[in-house]
Amino acid sequence: MECVVQGIIETQHVEALEILLQGLCGVHRERLRIHELCLKSGPNLGLVSSEVRLLCDLEQPEPTWTVRHIGGSMRGAAAEQVSVLVRTKVESKISKNALRLFYALGYKLDHELLRVGFAFHFFRGAHITVTVSSINKMLKLHSTDEAVPVTPGIQLVEVTAPASSENYTEVAAAVSSFCEYLAPLLHLSKPGVSTGVVATAAAAAASLMSDGGGATL
Amino acid sequence: MPIKWVLHWQPNAGTTVNSQILTEVSQCVETINGVKEGRWKATLSFYKPMLREQANPMEFPRDFLGISLPEQPNKYYFVIRGQRLVVEAESTIQSIMEKLQSYKTRVALNFEGFQYQLGDFQLRVGKVVPIHSENLRGIVMEMEYLPISSWERSHKIMAEFFDLWQEALSKRSLPGHFVHIEPNFSEFGLSDQYSSQHTAAQYASIMAQLIATVQSAQAMRNN
Repeated sequence: MECVVQGIIETQHVEALEILLQGLCGVHRERLRIHELCLKSGPNLGLVSSEVRLLCDLEQPEPTWTVRHIGGSMRGAAAEQVSVLVRTKVESKISKNALRLFYALGYKLDHELLRVGFAFHFFRGAHITVTVSSINKMLKLHSTDEAVPVTPGIQLVEVTAPASSENYTEVAAAVSSFCEYLAPLLHLSKPGVSTGVVATAAAAAASLMSDGGGATL
Repeated sequence: MPIKWVLHWQPNAGTTVNSQILTEVSQCVETINGVKEGRWKATLSFYKPMLREQANPMEFPRDFLGISLPEQPNKYYFVIRGQRLVVEAESTIQSIMEKLQSYKTRVALNFEGFQYQLGDFQLRVGKVVPIHSENLRGIVMEMEYLPISSWERSHKIMAEFFDLWQEALSKRSLPGHFVHIEPNFSEFGLSDQYSSQHTAAQYASIMAQLIATVQSAQAMRNN
């Protein structure tokens, strides 16, 4: 399982967000360049249709592959009470012929995208990962070198943390309290609940940039 | 990783495998000074697609296997032999396969028995039994040579050891013999350097043989 919230930020404020995250986490960012292929089961395969994602990490000297399955999110009163989405997630590292395997099994490519940005991994009440990335689409099949942004000028911010059915309330609280620090720059909410950009972002970014630059007032 | 040959027992025409043969094979390893070390177990599952009514089963692989090996407890291997495909994944992939609900296990087999040390060789003799059953379906043997990881360079010494083993076993006049089938690893995209993916490909090959043996035995009974 994982807890997740998402938000968006204008690209012009990403640098300020990075400075803020760097200060909050105390770790260095990692560059992120992931080719993501979303596969769906063919029309007659499976009692219900299914979806699986193959992620190719292009930042590694030799690209590495991961299979990711995102399951249904938690519902009901307990889910309503937490401000993050709690959902099942299973990942498995896999050899580079994973795409061939899933094609052979009857899965079809639904869409593919390229995430470019950075990530912070740190512990703050939970093992939190913050990714800030622009989402790009490929003009030709698998041509990651010719990707163009889906939403120019806007980047996606995602905060996730692994959780279990025993500890998700604590993890959700840790994620929520961390997100409050980012509030001047962006608003984070459950995926699918769009909240847009934050009005205070420009002023907050300007302030962060001047602090981050070491300027003394 | 040290190279290994995976062998399977081929019963003589008209005979079937039984536990007495397994006992004699194990005794034979000890008579050539194999030192019993402990148990080992590998598991192999055949998957079948879960299809909707209008589906054409021919569009989906019939020889899709999943294998877990004792030397890589955190890994899981998929083989589609007909397509010469071997995939290595973390064992969490089994949970993903369950969640996808597109393939389910048709039959699962355990390969289990004892491991023996014999100089630079490690031998594993095991029975093939369906999970939740004790019906013996076959006998397998792993012959591992610890100093070498190149398939090509090990071929001579492995062939020589295999001959010695066959000779030792022949004194017992058992109704069958061990067979070594060498998959064409390059067709699977595997290099000369031995890996667990090579082992998975070998298990897929002997499964094809075991099935063929069982089917021909059934055909003979029916005639």
